[in-house]
Amino acid sequence: MAGPSNKNAEKGGRLRTWAVRLVCVLFWLAVWGLAARAIHARIILVGPLEVLARLGNLAVTGEFWASIAISLGRVAVGYVSAVVLGVALAAFASRFSLVRELLAPLMGALKATPVASFVILVLLWVSSRHLSIVIALIMALPIVYTNVLEGIRQTDAGLLEMCDLFDVRGWDRVRLVYASEVLPYFRAAVTLALGLSWKAGIAAEVIGLPDFTIGEHLYDAKVYLDTPDLFAWTLAVIVVSVALEALITRVMGWAMGRWEARP
Amino acid sequence: MSAGSHQGCVDLTLALQDVCKSFGGLRVLEGVTARFEPLRTHVLMGPSGSGKTTLLRLLAGLERPDAGEVVRGSDVRMGMTFQEDRLCENLTATANIRLPRPRLSGEALERFLAYEREAMAACDLSVDARPVRDLSGGQRRRVAILRCVLAEANTLLFDEPLKGMDEKTVEAVMAFVAPLVAERTVLWTTHDERDLRFFNDPILWRVEGGRVCAC
Repeated sequence: MAGPSNKNAEKGGRLRTWAVRLVCVLFWLAVWGLAARAIHARIILVGPLEVLARLGNLAVTGEFWASIAISLGRVAVGYVSAVVLGVALAAFASRFSLVRELLAPLMGALKATPVASFVILVLLWVSSRHLSIVIALIMALPIVYTNVLEGIRQTDAGLLEMCDLFDVRGWDRVRLVYASEVLPYFRAAVTLALGLSWKAGIAAEVIGLPDFTIGEHLYDAKVYLDTPDLFAWTLAVIVVSVALEALITRVMGWAMGRWEARP
Repeated sequence: MSAGSHQGCVDLTLALQDVCKSFGGLRVLEGVTARFEPLRTHVLMGPSGSGKTTLLRLLAGLERPDAGEVVRGSDVRMGMTFQEDRLCENLTATANIRLPRPRLSGEALERFLAYEREAMAACDLSVDARPVRDLSGGQRRRVAILRCVLAEANTLLFDEPLKGMDEKTVEAVMAFVAPLVAERTVLWTTHDERDLRFFNDPILWRVEGGRVCAC
């Protein structure tokens, strides 16, 4: 039984881990600051304090938040579509080997092709406003599909035999056995795909230049050699990415906990 | 080695007719003919590797005979405790026990949950929110047994269900399970003759050398 002393020890261990991480981050921030001072050329490298100050200035403007919301919204649409489509295709592929064989080269190509090639190609098909939606979908789809399919294929044959015996079939089998077995694979897939979709979506915006997006601001920073802006927008991208990953990890952990703990 | 197959209009026949089964070059069952009387307890004994598990799997429809016929009555509804626990690792004990009854909802679900809790308490299992992957081997075994006996089944197959359990736990589990299985067809494989004390007038079978015979 876990007593109060065990809980205190666990809490102490966690605090120590966070303290070590913080020290490491502070160390690299110090290195960054020292390097900026040594180079002493804002166009090449700006220090962390100046970047934070610039980010602070941007954060009080409506355009900053509108750009983040527009970029995030479009990437989210592509990402969610990829998750839904990936799960559906994996379910079909696990059931019908022809579907699996047909999709294998397509998913392989999606994984291997450079994102820049897709961006240029997709720009010929859709307007730049919708570019990041398609790119986020293309990035996330093979990851979700592959992981969920693997989860389904790794489902314990003994459990399926047990279901046959107890006559648990169809949707009941999916929600009681497959969902339980595939959930860890799904969780890993959505967490990994989220970061990739977000970064690729922003990269697509830099090429496609849709209005009021993070990508457009990054492009402007490059054109006007505005290094503080470049760093500030990049920092904003990183913060959003970390926040999204933490959010999805928490939400998935909470959902899995509820799923597992139900009586 | 025969017994009645019909109880009124209910067909609970369970039989093997000239069944042969091999795995690779290993012949496990050879021309086995046996009828298992419905609503009785049948205890199948025999050394390791003699074909007890294969016999249960053939009756359950999980294996096909190489030759001969397996006869299952149209009203037979099966439950089974496998040699392995075969539990959904990420689900709680109650969710695993309830797995053969997936459509329960509302009041029926509440009633069954209360019954499950009673059953678990009787088998010395605590009811909590832990997934079964966090349970010990003995606890998992008891969950697998309860899943089988609480299923809506009239024919229960047990493949060495008490293996690895300590004496005190066995007594507690069987005090709960024995009355529940008394009015169903039960096929119980074991190495341990002491298991016989849990059943009232069981039919004994010997499985050895590819043959199955009533003792």
